[in-house]
Amino acid sequence: MIPALVPSLALLLALLLARPAAAEEVMRFPASEHERTTLTIRGAADTDAMAPLIRDYQLLYPDVTVVYHEYITADLFSGVAAACAAGRAASDYAADVVISSSVDHLIKLANDGCARSHRSIETGRLPDWAAWRNEVFGFTTEPAVIAYRPDLLPREDLPRSRVALVDLLRRKPEAYAGRIGSYDITLSGIGYLFAVYDARAAATYGRLVEAFGRANLQVRCCTADLIADLEAGRIVIGYNLLGSYVYGAMRRGARLGVVVPQDYTLVLTRAALVPVTARAAGDAFAFLDYLLSERGQRVSREQSFFFDRTGPLPPGVDGPPSLSAAGLFRPITVGPVLLAVQDRAKRARFLAEWRQSIGTQVK
Amino acid sequence: MIPRSMIPTAPSLLASSLFARLVAVLAAVLALGAALLLFAAWASARLAADEAYDRLLVGAALQIAETIASDGREITVDPPFSAFETLGLSPRDRIFYKVLDPADRLLTGDADLAVPVDRGRLAAGPILLDAEHRGQAVRAVVAGRYVPDVATAGFAAVVVAQTREARGALARTLTIKASLMVLAMSALALGAVAVAVRAALRPLRAIEGVLAARGPNDLQPLGLAAPQEIRLLVTSIDHFMGRLSGHVAVMKRFIADAAHQIRTPLTALAAQLDLLSSETDEGRRRDQIARLRQRTAELGHLTNQLLNHAMVIHRARSAAFGPVDVAGLARRTLIDAVPQAGDRTIDIGYDGPEDALVIPGDAIALREALANLIHNAFKHGARSRLTVRLGRERGRVVLAVEDDGPGIPAADWARVREPFQAATGGGIGSGLGLSIAAEVAAAHGGELRFETHSEKGFCVILSLPDEAAA
Repeated sequence: MIPALVPSLALLLALLLARPAAAEEVMRFPASEHERTTLTIRGAADTDAMAPLIRDYQLLYPDVTVVYHEYITADLFSGVAAACAAGRAASDYAADVVISSSVDHLIKLANDGCARSHRSIETGRLPDWAAWRNEVFGFTTEPAVIAYRPDLLPREDLPRSRVALVDLLRRKPEAYAGRIGSYDITLSGIGYLFAVYDARAAATYGRLVEAFGRANLQVRCCTADLIADLEAGRIVIGYNLLGSYVYGAMRRGARLGVVVPQDYTLVLTRAALVPVTARAAGDAFAFLDYLLSERGQRVSREQSFFFDRTGPLPPGVDGPPSLSAAGLFRPITVGPVLLAVQDRAKRARFLAEWRQSIGTQVK
Repeated sequence: MIPRSMIPTAPSLLASSLFARLVAVLAAVLALGAALLLFAAWASARLAADEAYDRLLVGAALQIAETIASDGREITVDPPFSAFETLGLSPRDRIFYKVLDPADRLLTGDADLAVPVDRGRLAAGPILLDAEHRGQAVRAVVAGRYVPDVATAGFAAVVVAQTREARGALARTLTIKASLMVLAMSALALGAVAVAVRAALRPLRAIEGVLAARGPNDLQPLGLAAPQEIRLLVTSIDHFMGRLSGHVAVMKRFIADAAHQIRTPLTALAAQLDLLSSETDEGRRRDQIARLRQRTAELGHLTNQLLNHAMVIHRARSAAFGPVDVAGLARRTLIDAVPQAGDRTIDIGYDGPEDALVIPGDAIALREALANLIHNAFKHGARSRLTVRLGRERGRVVLAVEDDGPGIPAADWARVREPFQAATGGGIGSGLGLSIAAEVAAAHGGELRFETHSEKGFCVILSLPDEAAA
């Protein structure tokens, strides 16, 4: 398809194959009735979060077996891109639905013509910022939150905004040095996305990163690691964590507090697309419509991702009345702007600056 | 009044209806105009859409180009979000871009974007061009930023390409809007044309109405105020009506006269038959039968003449003229008439050219006219001489019948041209000959004249227009 891209994709593919199989977890949801078809979903979303949605979908479509492959975002992107470049016939990489929290990856795939277009009543209800070209559909609303240990963080120190956080680090450098955690944005797609949008959203980004550098920011690859560190007390405050996962951990009994910052709220919408190589495209679109439907959204709010666009914040979360509260809502729009996030030169420059600010501890 | 059934049923509405014809022609013109306008609308919409989105494209490329920086060794670029937001204003379009340093090394973007970069023209500003990328038509712009302080000094190039979906959609929307207006205007124009044509044809309908409402005997002029274009038609109809009513009047008078003329001898015949049936004397009976025979012959002659007269009048109006050799015609008619001389000694002569003398005319009518003149001459005039003279005279062809009889008094000359107005002393059946000749002369654009010469005698002249002189 794209001759110039093939060598690099081949390289990516080789890297992918060289990785241990543990990079991918597979969960099978067998059909409860006579199996008509198998729907293969490859996603960068926790299986725990996706399982309630898949099971509820199977109540509507009991003759569909769903196989869910969980990846980290970068692997998912390279796999789908390689399959798309190879074409449908040449690829044995089955994927009917691709779900990723790194929306920029999905935008890049759609821009390169790897996604199928779909229109329905459900897709028509999406706000403009949550879908692109009828190919990439955002189906969740997940804020970037500040997570903390309520028992280790004095109430008066609780930062409800970035400025408050910077202030706290300046006021009590010793207390929080090495006890603030966030994503290693060189490894985490979400972390990078949130950081880039932080930089876009407000002029305070430079001061924030500087303060993080001075406070010896602990960086981790993934949300799960950060939550584990918080639970273990290795860090007290986690910055810009994916709210849905943190709230999920809270519901499972972790001793955590969640603050949705009140200066502005970065909101990620996890997105899905149906690749051109999809074999069960009809069922894939049915699954997509389910995710976007009232029913799917309710299951998502109650069991999977906990937040939604317009409703009140889930119980126990400190923050504005709702995510789309006037003036605070900064959605990461699903659209061609994310191609800028994908730009290699921009990424290199941004990461270099970040590394420089955070300090030497990042390899 | 014209019965409806007599209007020919045409093969198609188009051929039969003025309205349909006019509307069809105007509709065709309007359709052609509308088609041209639609094409123009599409072309200009495409241009407008390209212009609108080209600005965004150029804007985005310039925004990216502005971030190209050099520290003397390395060239960096940092495509700003704003550039992508600008491009994102055409919400559905795919975006492809690349940034090349002066040595054509890829700094960032899509390596496979195959848009040619002509660095020679970059100094003049961004270059817009149409290209293709991954099988899709794209609109591309190449913008440059001069980098003087690296090994290969020159223009770093920013190439930004965008699919044409938004342009196509905008062009479509504009075209559809323009099309609706064009179609509405065309429909309006067509409606107006239909109304105007109907209104313009209304006087024709008025004529039709007036004609249809007329009784069969009403030959009065229409007396309609008509627009300029059909005034001639109305005038012609009125003129025709005038002529028709004139002819009808002549026919009426002729029929009344003919009836009278025939009734009189019939009454006489009946009376003589009564006498005959009661006559016992063989000698008187023979005389009466002889008189009866003569009366019957005269009646036969009268009937013939009446029919001839009617025939001549009919032909004068309907027969097409052809070339007629008057010389031959005169000789033949004269020869045919010779037996009428009976046992009288009459010097019958022809004085005219031996060669053909051709004029346009109706041979049958002309022969009838001449035959009547000759008959009259035998019957009332010629004592010892009858000459038919033919010649050209002051641009006219003159056919004269000359005899040495008493002739007609000049006072009666005007009157005897009318039917049944025989000169004094004529018997029955003598009233039509001159009238027939006068009719024929008039139908040929000529006239019937009389002349009296002391030496030649009485002369009846048919003066006809000469084709050669005309």
